[in-house]
This record gives sequence, C-alpha cells and structure tokens, in this order.
Amino acid sequence: MSRLPDWLPRALAALLVLTLLAPVFGWAAGQVGYAEPLENAAEATGATDHASATGTAPFPDYGVAGLGGPTGTLLSAVVGTALTLLLGAGIGRLLGADADHGPN
Amino acid sequence: MHIPDGYIDLPIALAVAALSVAVLSLAAKRVNGEIPDSRAPLLGVVAAGVFAAQMLNWPIPGGTSAHFVGGAFAAILLGPHLGALCVATVVAIQALVFGDGGLVVLGANVFNMAIVEVYVGYAIYRVLAPYGEFRAAFAAGWLGITAGALAAAVQLGLSSAFEYQLLTTLAIMGVGHLALGLVEGAITAFVYRYLARARPDLRPDAAAEVTA
Repeated sequence: MSRLPDWLPRALAALLVLTLLAPVFGWAAGQVGYAEPLENAAEATGATDHASATGTAPFPDYGVAGLGGPTGTLLSAVVGTALTLLLGAGIGRLLGADADHGPN
Repeated sequence: MHIPDGYIDLPIALAVAALSVAVLSLAAKRVNGEIPDSRAPLLGVVAAGVFAAQMLNWPIPGGTSAHFVGGAFAAILLGPHLGALCVATVVAIQALVFGDGGLVVLGANVFNMAIVEVYVGYAIYRVLAPYGEFRAAFAAGWLGITAGALAAAVQLGLSSAFEYQLLTTLAIMGVGHLALGLVEGAITAFVYRYLARARPDLRPDAAAEVTA
C-alpha cells in the first residue's frame, strides 16, 4: 500500500454529499417530468417504440426491486459511486508510473 | 444523452464501437506509466464524482431536466486521455449495472460522452485558457456537451428507427443541448475554479502529465 493523498477524506465527504442528494434531485426532476432532447427527438421521429430495455442490469433505472423510489435511488447512488471509485482508482493504479515497481 | 438499444442501426453501432475501442486503447497507451502514484486515486475520485453528479437531474421549468455529464470537466482536471478513460468507466457502469444506455450501443454512448465531449471540451479549454481559465472551462463544458449531442444526433439520424431524419435529430439534439449546456458550462467552470484555488497541486500541469 502506498500512502493515501491528504485530500482524500474531503473528496470522499464530497462524494457522500452528492449521493445523499440523488434521491432529492430524483424527486424534484419527477415533479417536472423527466425529458431530455434525445427523448424529444425520438418522439418527433416516432422512434420511441424502437427502444428496447436491456433487462439484465442488477439495478434497472437506478432502482432496487422491492425498495421504494427514494431508498432505491439512494442505494443505487451509493453502490454506483463506490463501484466507480474503486474501478477508476484501479485503472489509475494499473496505468501508474509505479505499477511495476511500486512500494509494497 | 444515454442512447437505449434499438435506436441505432447495428452497423453504425458496431462501427462507432470499434472507433471507441481504438481511441481508448491509444489513450491508455499515451498515459501508461505516466501517472504518478499520488494521482491514481484522483482518477477514481473524479470518476465517482462524475457518476454521482450524473444522477442529479436538474429540473428545468417547462417540463424538462438535464444532468451534468462532466466530460470536459474530467478532461481539464485529468488531461484528455485519462479524462476519456474516466468517463468511459462511468458510462460502462451506467449501462452494465443500471441499464442506463443500451449494451449494443455502449460503444456509441462511450464515443459521444467519453470521447467527443472529452476531447472537444479539452481542445476548447486549451485554446481559450490564455484568455481566462474560468471562461475557458465554461466554454469547454458548454460546447463539449453540445458536440457530444451532435455526434449522437448523427448516429440516430442515420438510423432506421429515426426514419433517417438527420436534420430533425441534429436540430432537436443540437439546440436542446446548446441550451442545457449552459448548466454544464457553469458547473464545469465553478467547480474547476474552486478546485484550482483550493488545491493548485491537483492541476494537471502541476504534475507533469501528458497533455496532448
């Protein structure tokens, strides 16, 4: 293990705040109805029916089966953020200058 | 901007996926062995930040909403090659774990958000940075996401599901994201300015990183 950078605790705290905000924003966006230009373009050309759900994702649409909307969103945010953090740091480590002769 | 399966014709999806693999391989080659050990966690933190921020849909009065994509932001903070790998990681997790964006079109979604937005955003930042970093970061976020949307519009507009209505997809996606992109530009500029002031040592040029 190499030493962890001093900015890491604050960065992790910021990530935690973002994940806690996810259910709030999810609710707020639901209040105005979620639509982005891609969906508007699909509607304008009649493409909407061609979309096929992937169906294999463990947390489809950032939700968890059996859990309510906000709870599922929060859990999805926590799992996704943690997973991305680990994978990103892993890739960084793999590509790192010290990957082959790093301190143990 | 996450395209679901069924929207893009298979040959286009495969061609764009091949292009994405080629660009990301080159990107990995360019940064391989160049990342100081202290910066490795930064890639994870920026990727996680981009993922978490993308879950925040900003409601916009009038019945629409937008979320921060973060391609230009990652490029400015990490350099373009690491930025592309960072956003590609996010887009892959979104598709595989959360079903956000299709699997057949994963390469296309990576191309639009992790390659076009990242490299266009970075180029704009580099060109404008001498005239002010804040303005440059704003323009990078704003025009980077618009470029990504236009790339998606081309793929969609050349596909049968959209009845080959290329001008319609370009107009709706281009104008839509040109407007929503102002939010992207503002977040990119404000967050980057905060980080650059709080931790100047995290700037890419502070760590002798490969920049082009």
